[in-house]
Amino acid sequence: MIRRASVLLGVAWCALAQGLDPQAILHPKPDSWPTYNGDYSGQRFSALRQIDTTNVGMLTLSWAFQTDVSTGPGLKSTPLLVNGTLYFTEPDDVWAVDARSGQQLWHYRYHANEGLHIGQRGLGMYQGHLYFETPDAHLLSLDARSGEMQWDVELADVKLGYWATMAPLIIGRHVIVGVSGDFTDLHGFIDSFDPDTGKLQWRWDALPKPGQPGADTWPKGTDAIAHGGGMTWITGTYDPSLNLLYWGTGNPNPVLAGYTRPGDNLFTCTIVALNPDTGKLVWYFQPSPHDVHDWDAVQTPVLVDADFHGAPRKLLIQASRNGYLFVLDRATGKALLSAPYEEINWSKGVDATGRPIADASKNPSPAGTLVEPDALGATNWMPPSFDPETGLLYVDTHRSFSIYYDLSSGKPEGFAGRDLSVWARSSLKAIDYQTGATRWQHDLGPGDNWASVLSTAGGLVFTGDVYGNILALDARTGKTLWHASGGGQAQAPPITYLLDDRQYILIGCRGVLYAWALPEALLRNPRPAAATASPAQSAPSPARNR
Amino acid sequence: MVLRLLAVLLVAALRLPAQDPDDMGQKQAADAQASAGKLLFQQNCAFCHGPDARGASGPDLIRSTLVNHDVNGDLIGQVVRNGRLQKGMPAFSFSDAQIRQIATYLHSEAALASTVARRAPDSPPETLLVGDANRGKAYFNGAGKCSTCHSPERDLAHVATKYKPIDLQSRIVFPAGLNPTVTVTESSGRSFEGEQIYADEFTVTLRGRDGWTRSWNRARVQVRVQDPLAAHVAQLSVYTDRNIHDLFAYLETLK
Repeated sequence: MIRRASVLLGVAWCALAQGLDPQAILHPKPDSWPTYNGDYSGQRFSALRQIDTTNVGMLTLSWAFQTDVSTGPGLKSTPLLVNGTLYFTEPDDVWAVDARSGQQLWHYRYHANEGLHIGQRGLGMYQGHLYFETPDAHLLSLDARSGEMQWDVELADVKLGYWATMAPLIIGRHVIVGVSGDFTDLHGFIDSFDPDTGKLQWRWDALPKPGQPGADTWPKGTDAIAHGGGMTWITGTYDPSLNLLYWGTGNPNPVLAGYTRPGDNLFTCTIVALNPDTGKLVWYFQPSPHDVHDWDAVQTPVLVDADFHGAPRKLLIQASRNGYLFVLDRATGKALLSAPYEEINWSKGVDATGRPIADASKNPSPAGTLVEPDALGATNWMPPSFDPETGLLYVDTHRSFSIYYDLSSGKPEGFAGRDLSVWARSSLKAIDYQTGATRWQHDLGPGDNWASVLSTAGGLVFTGDVYGNILALDARTGKTLWHASGGGQAQAPPITYLLDDRQYILIGCRGVLYAWALPEALLRNPRPAAATASPAQSAPSPARNR
Repeated sequence: MVLRLLAVLLVAALRLPAQDPDDMGQKQAADAQASAGKLLFQQNCAFCHGPDARGASGPDLIRSTLVNHDVNGDLIGQVVRNGRLQKGMPAFSFSDAQIRQIATYLHSEAALASTVARRAPDSPPETLLVGDANRGKAYFNGAGKCSTCHSPERDLAHVATKYKPIDLQSRIVFPAGLNPTVTVTESSGRSFEGEQIYADEFTVTLRGRDGWTRSWNRARVQVRVQDPLAAHVAQLSVYTDRNIHDLFAYLETLK
């Protein structure tokens, strides 16, 4: 019996050593990036400081990984790093790659399917299992050791127009997922699954049923409320101390023809706080009541504990697609600040609760309406980064104009219109969350850029421009300190980690994932500046360990 | 949620096969099938399901799970032939060919609704002509300052015949595709002028009148950019929708 117990203990130890305990997500180690945002806060800030403003100019390529997928959207996923292995995705593909060498350990290819192959944003991990959402809106569990599929659950019906792109979020024994699809008139939801069996634990519907709270924000006696959209396509964030899950929802449907759905259209374009154990709604705040411009409010709800106007607060910050920065009290959902962070022409200000008041003259029209920003928004899905040391939120923003056309006739369905973009220019903006003011702005080029952001305690911000340059900027000034051309726009969000005492910066451009680091020779014989940045001396504070 | 790049790719992907003669034939056959199906639908089904199949007293068929899972009438046929008597739908005795026609029509309507965001809109001029041409002409020569660079006799002569109406309206607001002129001065004082081919924050590339491209590290030279579209950019936040519609109405007279 004793021997048998020790064998069992040994097996359990192996599983722990190689898998990911959900407790580890609460305080991620410097040699890991265990979830989509790196931790639960959505800050995408790393306490690592081996690479800093004095030495970033010496960054060199450690390795590059070629996905060799010639079609499709390329890499848009945030890699996970657990126990020295990286896991990342494209719509039909999952790779496990050794983080030291960039060598492939395994590759999983999903079968041909008719789902929309618009992008894949990454994986969730629980113990030895990976969770992957497919273009045809299935959720798969893969064995992290081999890539072998363990179970497959249909989230939604691809034939109706659903698809899926997001990285599942693991909270305890919950695998929490959302879905996409607004070309047709569907309904959004968030599902929670048992990590071992794939059994549904709970579902939160983005659209209320008639009679439920929120139903009075839809017209009565039509089917609008059942087909009103509200997709849930970007991974949320989580506050363990409040035990609240935060998630942004997508636009209402029909998208550009709002006249068939008078009312605020809850819970579309809404930030919701849910109990992750039950899926019950605790509070909500709606950035775009009755949206008619496709400006969903799915952008990462970034959680920050900081002073707000002199008092310590638990904050939630969202740079929303409609051009507004929202700062909420995340215990109550009360708006503390609603201020545009980019130039817009559709709002008449905000109401007493902090919600923007839309100017109806900027609704789409048959003859065309010039609207700022365009339908891609003042920002889009790309995760921003919050640096607690500068107090700045770094966001890829777009100043943009579109002519919006209402093309509906009869009963509007689907998009029921189109916007034609006439002009756009992208910037990285460093936004002061206390006021919404832009502290500095770095031009990223013409058109809509698709780069995410990482900030580090080395005083650096990593992002990319429209030309395919990977950029390291000074977090305080926005000045370029290092760049390299990645041969295509960097649409895969950058991450960082420390492995064998060497800090890596990972960023994917189209079909290539690049790993950058300081030269090994420099790390062996550090100059004085690099010596102060050695990991032993940097001692990142545990609370801010990313 | 729609990404424009994807839309462009999809449109491109949809266009290419359509040039294949076999596919063209298939498309014509499908269109004929859908037209026949539409007629049958309007005579027999529209009374309950609405003239565009989007529902009336009977359910919306565009959003129907059954219709979206149907292949060539295999599911629709069963419902049509058996009816749903408990829900008040009678049985119909259509031929296999007629069932396929109705199914093709319903699928084409669903495809139409779901691809609006991915199709280039082609609104007819009467939809876009809500402005006043005289007011547009006054704006062109007055407050809009369009006449500073443009003339209805020279660059804009017959402009209404060159572009589809909806594209003309877009081009009034911002006529993309004109590259800036750039002048690069080296530290020696030597200067080059040409069309800007590329310019990020590190490198500038121009094509000279001799047709050759040249490239410089921006940190080592002086770069002066003249953007012929700068006035259009400035005007973006000045235009009212009425200005745009009036200008469109005016330029639409330049046939």
